[in-house]
Amino acid sequence: MGKKISVSAQDYIEKGQFYLINKKYSEAIKQFQKALKLKPDVLIYFHLGLAYEASCQIPQAIEMFRKAIELDANHKEAIEHLNSLTNQ
Amino acid sequence: MANKSFAVIGLGRFGENIARALSEKGFEVIVIDSDENEVQLFADIVTHSFVLDATDERALKDAGIADVDVAIVSLGQNIDTSILVTLILKEIGVKEVIVKAVNERHGKILQRIGADKVIYPEREVAIRLAESFVSPKIFDYIELSPSHSIIEIAAPRQFFGKTLNEIQLRQKYGVTLIAIKRKIPIVTDKGTPDFKEDIIISPSIDEELAEGDVITLLGRYEDLARIEKL
Repeated sequence: MGKKISVSAQDYIEKGQFYLINKKYSEAIKQFQKALKLKPDVLIYFHLGLAYEASCQIPQAIEMFRKAIELDANHKEAIEHLNSLTNQ
Repeated sequence: MANKSFAVIGLGRFGENIARALSEKGFEVIVIDSDENEVQLFADIVTHSFVLDATDERALKDAGIADVDVAIVSLGQNIDTSILVTLILKEIGVKEVIVKAVNERHGKILQRIGADKVIYPEREVAIRLAESFVSPKIFDYIELSPSHSIIEIAAPRQFFGKTLNEIQLRQKYGVTLIAIKRKIPIVTDKGTPDFKEDIIISPSIDEELAEGDVITLLGRYEDLARIEKL
């Protein structure tokens, strides 16, 4: 009888952050996407925005920052990143 | 090198932007406009500001226009006035007169009467914008000559993990890599993740390209186009 190990969104977020710090953006995005499926969250959208921005996928980054701001209109960092990406 | 001094005549959309940008860079800037309200806005930002009619040669001379290194004429849609002002400035002996043109005919006349440089700001931005749609991968684009340009592009996937020596941009693709912009992940004081941007100019051949690097390349259009397709 095996034990079911439930992986929480938090685990994916932490993995994603690890990949992000180590500049493995594709892997980071995969982890954050998994986290997102479990629990849509401002933090996850913001991290996805960063990962997309860092890997030069700008339209996706913009979409993620917009979604983050939808959930939290006062998210200063998301607003700053969105502005810098749309004010080229 | 002594600090260059500038005069900006006409504080419309273009004039106010160039006056502000030059001031921010620490240059000496004189602004001139016939509208007192416009000039007031700039009084604290620039070296000197004058409310006067730019077609008044005496007033321009009193404002010290003869001593500036560069005069920038940005008189909105007013073709006749900008032509007149340009003539006056060249007659006074201003070293370099740069004029914003409304259209091609205006520009040709300005060149004929001695404008040192004619700019078409909207046309130039429009061209760059159009270029950016040709290839969505290009972040920025500068036309160097009819045959060469400089582009800023995300490093192609197949270059990841390879050194410049291994990639052989010049030998294989005929383009020169001028700089690499790289994002360094950091954690802010608040504990949130963010990026610091690092720029490496003229990187060594041992520099390795990584995912997320934005590279600035110089080369012929055809050669740059090949890189875009990678």
